[in-house]
Amino acid sequence: MKIGPLSISPRTIRNLRKEFRSSGLARIGVVLIALVVLAAVFAPLIAPHNPRTQNLDRAQLPPLGFTDTEQQTQTKIVDGSVQTVTRNVTVNATATYPLGTNALGQDMLSRVIYGARTSLLVGLLGTVLAALLGVTVGLTAGYYRGRIDDALMRTADVSLAFPSLVLAIALIGLFSRFQADVAYRVSDPLVTSGLAGWFRDMVGLPTPMPETFVIPTVVVLVVGFVNWVWFARIARGEALSIREEEYVKAARALGGSDVRIVFRHVLPNAITPILVLATIQVAAIILLESSLSFLGFSGTTLSWGFDIAQGRGYLSSSWWIATMPGIAIVLSVIGINLVGDWLRDALDPGIEGEGGM
Amino acid sequence: MAEKDTSRRRFLQAAGSATAAVALAGCSGTGGESSPTEEPTDTSGDSMQTTEPQQTIERPEPSTRDGYLQRANRHCHDQAPWVFLHRQYSVYGVSDDINWQPRRDERVDAYAIEPATDSGDSAVMTQSQMDSGLDPQDHRETPTDNIVLQAYEGLLERDRQGAIIEVLATDYRRLDETTVQFTVRDNVSFHSGDSLTPEDVAYSINRIVKESVGIASPQSDQLVGVAGAEVASSDDRTVNVNLTGLNPIVFQSFATYCDIMNKSWVTSHDNAYINQNMEGTGPFKLANYEQGVAVEFTRNDNYWQEAAALSGFTINAASESSTRVNRLLAGESDIIVNVPPQEVSRVNNNDGTSVSAVPSTRVIFNAMRYDVEPFVSPLFRQAVNYAVDLESIVQNVLQTFGDPTGQPTLEGFFGYNPDLDPYPRDLDRAEQLVEESGYAGAEIELITPIGRYLKDVEIAQAVAAQVDELPNVTARARQVEFSTLVSQVTTGKIEDKPHWYLLGWGNATFDAVQTIQPLLASDGALTSYKNDELDRLLDEAQSLPSESN
Amino acid sequence: MGYGRFLLKRGVQGVGVVWGVVTVVFLLRFITPGSPIDTVAPLDASQETRRQIARELGLNQPLYVQYLDYIWELLHGNMGYSYISSIPASVQVFQKLPATLELAVAASVVAIVLSIPLGVVSATRRHQPADYAATSFSLLGISTPNFWLGIMLVLMFAVELNVFPTSGRAYGFMQSLAAITGPRPFFTVVTAWVASLFLPAITLGTYFTALITRLVRSGMLDELSSGYVRATRAKGLPETLVRYKHVLRNTLVPVVTVLGLQLGTLIGGAVITEAVFAWPGLGSEIIRAINARDWPILQGSLIVIGTGFVLLNIVVDALYAYLDPRVVAE
Repeated sequence: MKIGPLSISPRTIRNLRKEFRSSGLARIGVVLIALVVLAAVFAPLIAPHNPRTQNLDRAQLPPLGFTDTEQQTQTKIVDGSVQTVTRNVTVNATATYPLGTNALGQDMLSRVIYGARTSLLVGLLGTVLAALLGVTVGLTAGYYRGRIDDALMRTADVSLAFPSLVLAIALIGLFSRFQADVAYRVSDPLVTSGLAGWFRDMVGLPTPMPETFVIPTVVVLVVGFVNWVWFARIARGEALSIREEEYVKAARALGGSDVRIVFRHVLPNAITPILVLATIQVAAIILLESSLSFLGFSGTTLSWGFDIAQGRGYLSSSWWIATMPGIAIVLSVIGINLVGDWLRDALDPGIEGEGGM
Repeated sequence: MAEKDTSRRRFLQAAGSATAAVALAGCSGTGGESSPTEEPTDTSGDSMQTTEPQQTIERPEPSTRDGYLQRANRHCHDQAPWVFLHRQYSVYGVSDDINWQPRRDERVDAYAIEPATDSGDSAVMTQSQMDSGLDPQDHRETPTDNIVLQAYEGLLERDRQGAIIEVLATDYRRLDETTVQFTVRDNVSFHSGDSLTPEDVAYSINRIVKESVGIASPQSDQLVGVAGAEVASSDDRTVNVNLTGLNPIVFQSFATYCDIMNKSWVTSHDNAYINQNMEGTGPFKLANYEQGVAVEFTRNDNYWQEAAALSGFTINAASESSTRVNRLLAGESDIIVNVPPQEVSRVNNNDGTSVSAVPSTRVIFNAMRYDVEPFVSPLFRQAVNYAVDLESIVQNVLQTFGDPTGQPTLEGFFGYNPDLDPYPRDLDRAEQLVEESGYAGAEIELITPIGRYLKDVEIAQAVAAQVDELPNVTARARQVEFSTLVSQVTTGKIEDKPHWYLLGWGNATFDAVQTIQPLLASDGALTSYKNDELDRLLDEAQSLPSESN
Repeated sequence: MGYGRFLLKRGVQGVGVVWGVVTVVFLLRFITPGSPIDTVAPLDASQETRRQIARELGLNQPLYVQYLDYIWELLHGNMGYSYISSIPASVQVFQKLPATLELAVAASVVAIVLSIPLGVVSATRRHQPADYAATSFSLLGISTPNFWLGIMLVLMFAVELNVFPTSGRAYGFMQSLAAITGPRPFFTVVTAWVASLFLPAITLGTYFTALITRLVRSGMLDELSSGYVRATRAKGLPETLVRYKHVLRNTLVPVVTVLGLQLGTLIGGAVITEAVFAWPGLGSEIIRAINARDWPILQGSLIVIGTGFVLLNIVVDALYAYLDPRVVAE
């Protein structure tokens, strides 16, 4: 199998197959990831409702299987002071809103489905960015050693000394200065092409879906920037050991340019641990993104963390608003971690649990 | 002439700021309106577009200050520089261990609390955030107000209804157009035992308005009409305050801010000390201060009035409303601020606690910048107002903890125009107005702070969704940190402001000018609007003495 | 290179990192939007008032002057004064530090007490129910966002069952100590303190419990299959001695290193845990400072955290080098 200049040996593929067959957990992981990816990609086709549509008359409906006794309070003014009147209303779940609705009457299931898009996009793009940055720094440091190595690795130390969450919050502020919008709005090709409309008409869900989708670009940049250190450390370690290999020495003696040697010889050999780390990092970045949204530092309202923050004010009356998106986060991160374990066991890259929440 | 004009402008600007503190600075979620909810009767807009006729037919609106302010409000209603939303309610959870009635200006005065049971002898209040230091003149937001007012007092104050009463002044009057005189109360002592002197009063005023005397006080804008103060006669205990021009609401300003401090105490300590200790004349003394966590007071037994009923008062904070409610229900707190509607039944159903609410002095609105498309068109701005289902928002999002508004000024304020009803919802008319404005197909985005006002994000999302229902407008909401929004709206340049944003404004002076001037006059510090007619009405109003005080 | 020189070198590097932290934090302040004046001044303050405030805060000086000033003052133990409260930043930061340390230590205790037995059991009873339980738990633990876990714990144990307080910190460690002699009943104080600490410590500790369990498990599995263990077994040493004396000790060495690197994660976790539980520590202070653009407080907090991180990692390195002299030679 060839990916650009990188190749994966048949032996590696055999190992992967073997571990996959022997491990039920790996299969669960793949299924979970597949579900999240499908939800994210085909959200406009499968979400039962428009995730942004409000229906204040249907607010705080419980999920299927639950009945909620809601206490509705109204005010009236008597002699200039405000009196409150509370009455009990029993609210039944309906199959139209299987996971219930939030305080604005938005469908939780549709929001959870669309939330997968935000999480996955940020997770993948953030990881790619972190990997590009970290691998470049790490290979440079490890290949050249000496002063460059010292300087780059001290920078990495400084970067490690900041809690990533705190650094991310501070950086989001920074980036928002250069770009007034902390998010970038793209049109949703599935909707604008009419595919979603056609499909929904066919299956009897004629609700129009949002035509645009928000990519929280600043969050992507920031989480990528915050997590580069882990990649740098791995790449440097690999570069340090590979540069002493005979064939690399030989290539250098033959007058191969540094860039060429790094790309032809060092990078391909370092790719396995980087891939495994990248898998774990997707999970870490999804958790980081949800933390940022939870604290209100995000560019979009279609995010699991944001919904949890919103639901927190309703814990005593509508527990499901904060619970459902949380379950979605846990399931997707479990899926990624299981796949990460599978890759690690099969490829044995010699890294262990790096990259934090 | 030109010069006179400038100084009046400058004064107006000053006046506008007085309210501000309480206004935006206050914390998330309070507020509302006192009046019985006016049914947004179906006037379906017949008079909306044509400004003048209604005005002349219905009421003459005399050439008084009140009359001009009412006309200014009518202008705002008709030209719709805002999406008019609601008046917030202040909603408190109160333990049965104490007797206490909330005030309209969002301040909680422990002196007004009486124990109802033995365990109410010492009370705890949980607000949404702690103080920004204990210097009574170096802050301007409700949470800090509530802490410093227990220990410090001003010359004047307001009672629960908002009327001005004397505190450390026994008398106040105008000597001439630019001078007012206060007589300082005798036999008052600070917590340290020092006696209150007219010199302390003059120093305290100067510390706010003159940077050379003390600090760059955020309250100085509020007393901008004030040039300085001097002791007129130590024997008569009088202090003269010099004004830069006629100031119709100078006493309102003094009733809201300007706590009196002990001159010798202030001059012998540094700012860090003054911000961690208190030396006032109030009914409570500082017992313990844990910055950002809690402030504990004990009763001042040498108070110049009858000593407080409570022996001790503690203020702490929790930014999450559910946390505050839990503290109240667990008996850890006796008063909690900002109970959101969905928690009201929990408080009321619990034995020994109940909810106490009062319409506040804060109005919530969406400003639409007059200088950008499509909001440049008054027709479009009206259309947005018609598209919003204010009744539904008040009913469903706020669960009636708020009253719909149709003008910048709240009912019960000086200058309120009783003839103006909130805009009714009328989608057809809104759609038609959008067509007439020439901005059909417009895409607009509402910027809202997150967690600053009661249900701010939910309200903004509801407004955007309702406007989005218009077939010829696309609308959405985006939330930002409050500090981000603040940095955009406070630059003094209208170009820096978002095109459409949600804001709340508290006005503790109970006077229309303190809302309209800063937010809508062309030289207002926070303005999103410019109109010569409105400026003229405000100028007229401010050149006349106020009939109320 | 000798052990002493190794330590010296790490110390010098540490000072460099702390200086880097200070510089980065200082620069952050100047590229971050939202001037501190916006939070200090009232919304409708005139531009003149704003200029006055800028003068008072020293913000009208050139950048390098402010930077040198800051470093100079910092060397004298002065972190500046809070823009909001005018209280010295050092006072405000060090007042909040004990609450966060308490939380971090409690979480670490939870993590260590739970994870090492779990990891050992898991590794020594591979493919048995105990192993499956421990691995499932640790998988869940590293996959759950801790703010959500905190909210769910509050929902269950505070809102529904009402056994723990929902939030806040009661008394604290020092006050609990003081209660031995103090006027308040000792038992009440300690119970309230531990109860208030319980849910936050679990919330923050779960991720680390899970992480260490995984590390211990895989580390032990590696060690158990390695040559020297087979050799010691062959020598006839009792199996328990082999496991606990040699294997576990060798396993814990890399665990300590990873934990040193994860300290930032611990503090990041503390920030969000404190936000969930209204815990009055450095994390709450940082969030407040960021929202209010109270830079002296934010700078002070980050410098304290960064310095702590560097110090702890030097300790970890020293420990590691002591246990494994090859590191020094490198």
